[in-house]
Amino acid sequence: MKALALAIVALVGGLLISATVDFPDWGDPASPASLHVSPHYVEKTMEETSVPNIVTAVLADYRGFDTMFETTVVFTAGVACFLLLRRREPRPGPSRVYRHRATGVIVEMSQPPDTEPAPEVFKRIDDDWTPHDLIVMNVCRLLIPFIQLFGLYVIAHGHHSPGGGFQGGVILGASVILLALSWDLRTATTRMKETATGLMSATGVFIYAGVGALALAMGGNFLDYAALSPILMVDPVAARSLGIFFVEVGVGLAVMATMVLIYRNLASEGHLDQGL
Amino acid sequence: MNLAVIIILVVGLVFFLGGAVGILRFPDFYSRLHPAGKMDTLGSFLMLGALALYHLHPFTLDNVLVAIKIVLIVVFYFLASPTATHAIVDAGIRAGQAAWQKPGRGAGS
Repeated sequence: MKALALAIVALVGGLLISATVDFPDWGDPASPASLHVSPHYVEKTMEETSVPNIVTAVLADYRGFDTMFETTVVFTAGVACFLLLRRREPRPGPSRVYRHRATGVIVEMSQPPDTEPAPEVFKRIDDDWTPHDLIVMNVCRLLIPFIQLFGLYVIAHGHHSPGGGFQGGVILGASVILLALSWDLRTATTRMKETATGLMSATGVFIYAGVGALALAMGGNFLDYAALSPILMVDPVAARSLGIFFVEVGVGLAVMATMVLIYRNLASEGHLDQGL
Repeated sequence: MNLAVIIILVVGLVFFLGGAVGILRFPDFYSRLHPAGKMDTLGSFLMLGALALYHLHPFTLDNVLVAIKIVLIVVFYFLASPTATHAIVDAGIRAGQAAWQKPGRGAGS
C-alpha cells in the first residue's frame, strides 16, 4: 500500500514538475498574464483613479465586486461562528471565583451569590487559569491605543502604501483580542459589547454595498465611484479615490468586528463569560 | 558619521550573535529565554538606532521623519519584547516547568 502511494506521489510530482517547463519565464512581458488587462492597470490607474497604489485600486475599484463578496465571506464566517458556538444557558458548574483587590486573596463561592460582591472590592476572575500580571496588563494597556492608531493609519493610508481595510481591520481586531488576553474576556466584552460587534460587522458590509448602490442611484454602474462626484463635490477621478476610501472603511469595520466575534465565541465556548 | 553607524551596527550584530548562541547553548527553557529576551532587545536597539542615525545624514524633514519612525519602532520593541519574554516565563512557571540545576545539585541533595 505504501509503495503504491509512493508511486502515485512520485508520478503526480513528476507530472507537475514536467508541466513547469511550459510556464512563461519569470517576469516575461509576453506572458498571457501581462498582455491583456495588466498594462491598462499599470499605465492608467493613476490618471483614472488618482491612487498611487495600483493594488488598492485594482482591489477596491476595478474589481470591487470581488472584494465586496470577500467582505461578505468574512461577515458570513462570523455569523456562522456565532450561530454554531453561542450558547445562552449559563455554564455548568456554578462556582465563581473572586479576587479581593486590596489583599490579593482568592475567594471561591460554590453557589452563585444572590448579589454580586461590590466590584471595586472583589474582582471576578476566571476559575481555571487566572493570570494576574501587572507587567503584562499595564504594558498592554499602554500599547493598545498605539496599535489601534496604527490600524486606522493602515486603513486610511492604503491608497499610498501597502495596507487597506483587511489589514487595518485585522490590526484593530487584534488590539481588542490583546486586551482580552492580557486582562480578561469580561473586560474586553465590556469595552466592545456583543451587540456592537454584530452591528459593526453588518454595518461594514452595508457600507460597502451601500456605496455601490448609491453609485447606482446616481446613474452610474454598481460600485462605479465616479458617479458619486456630485455628492462628494469633487471631480470624477478624485471621487473614485474617495469611494475606495469609503469601501475600505466598511471592510475594516467588518473585519475587525468579525475577528473579535470569532475570538470571543471560540475562547469562551460560546458563553462569553470567561476564557483564555 | 558612517564610521559610527558601522561600529554601532557591528556591535548590534555581536549582541544578536550572542543571543543566537545563547538560545542554542543554554540548558533549559528559562535560561534560553534570557538571551532571547535581553540580547535581541539590545541588539535591535543598537541596529535600529544606527539605521536612524544613518537616515539623518542629509538633514531634511523627510529623513528626520523616517528616523523618528525608526525610533518609534525601537520604543515599542523595547516595551513589547521584554513583556513577551516575561509572559512566556510566567506561563512556563504556571505550567510547572522546573528550572534547570547544575548536575549533582538536584532538588533532593
